[in-house]
Amino acid sequence: MNAGARAWRTAVLIPWMLFGVALVASLRVTLDGGLRIVPPPLSALVLALLILMLLIRSGQLQPATLVGGRQPALDRIAGSVALIALGWASAGVMALVIPEAGLPKLAGLVLVTALLANTLAASAGRVASLRALFVTCLAGFIVKFIVLDALFDPGRSLGGRLVTSILEGATLGGLRHEPWAPITGYLAFGILILYFLALSLLPRPSPPAIADGGHHAVEPHGLRHTAHLDR
Amino acid sequence: MGTVRPDLVRALGLSGSVLLAGFTLWLYATTPTTMAEVTGGLASSAGMYRVDPVAFAEGLRFFRADQFAEARLVFERIDPARRDPLVQFYTAYSHYRQGWGRIANDDAQFELGLAALDRAEAVAPGRRIVVDDPDLGAPTSEELRVELVEGLRTDLSDFNPMGVVRKRK
Repeated sequence: MNAGARAWRTAVLIPWMLFGVALVASLRVTLDGGLRIVPPPLSALVLALLILMLLIRSGQLQPATLVGGRQPALDRIAGSVALIALGWASAGVMALVIPEAGLPKLAGLVLVTALLANTLAASAGRVASLRALFVTCLAGFIVKFIVLDALFDPGRSLGGRLVTSILEGATLGGLRHEPWAPITGYLAFGILILYFLALSLLPRPSPPAIADGGHHAVEPHGLRHTAHLDR
Repeated sequence: MGTVRPDLVRALGLSGSVLLAGFTLWLYATTPTTMAEVTGGLASSAGMYRVDPVAFAEGLRFFRADQFAEARLVFERIDPARRDPLVQFYTAYSHYRQGWGRIANDDAQFELGLAALDRAEAVAPGRRIVVDDPDLGAPTSEELRVELVEGLRTDLSDFNPMGVVRKRK
């Protein structure tokens, strides 16, 4: 990649997309058309840290390619900003897909932490880790913006109210949820797509030259694999 | 795209990033509740937020005629972002006067008044408002706050029969 294209990608495209994600992820539109700003809570910051660890471990994020010593100073500053944007956007996305109150919030936190820790411990490859992260976020999105919103929809039927009342009684009032206007769900979906698009754009070092001039290399333990194919 | 110097691109990217991050932090700090508050807040930050003086005078006319709901409708229309200290002060005052009673005050009105006074002080220079208006018995934000807070408090003085002769400020 030439210097100009790299500058556009690391200094403009990725940080702007990620800061955009962080910005819109904190917006909620209430049912009466009002606006609510929800900064990422402490739990989302911790989960963002887990995501960063996961991305680094899987090879999707290589901080040296952003802030390594061989780049010009301005390039390293832009890389640092991109890293900050990535952490901020990750926290925003976590705050967005995890329910915001009561038992659903607790269950969401525990489940997402367990899933991220599991993916981290599994030491999965780049694509597998991204896939696992995407599934985790999508599952949270479905639970929060589709299942819970449907359960707590103010205009739901008598049967729906009955089901909600039974669930609230069974959880001793712990099942709480604040439904947002439908536009919030659409925004959240767009934000998820934008976040993963930005993740896929993160720069990676060029693959090392292959000794046999072809596409295959032999690992020390004898396993043969395609050099350019991600694990 | 390829003709622009990489350093220029990085500078542009950094400027945009700083703007986006700054705007997000500003949203976190101010927590606007409507889009009008967002746009008004931005205009106010740039020193471009203005209230129509003619419409404000119209609102004051309603206020002095004890038509508080009408006055507040005018105030809301001319200050949608709730960023003008004077308009917010008069909004608080209208809640105070509407909620004031010889025997008992309307707590809901007083609470709305306190909220409006908080907004007024938050955007006022030095967090203080002094109004040169002989019609007002409490022309400063401190005096109005005391009136509102004491009106909301329930204590023995509320049962003093001499309270019926007190005057509305």
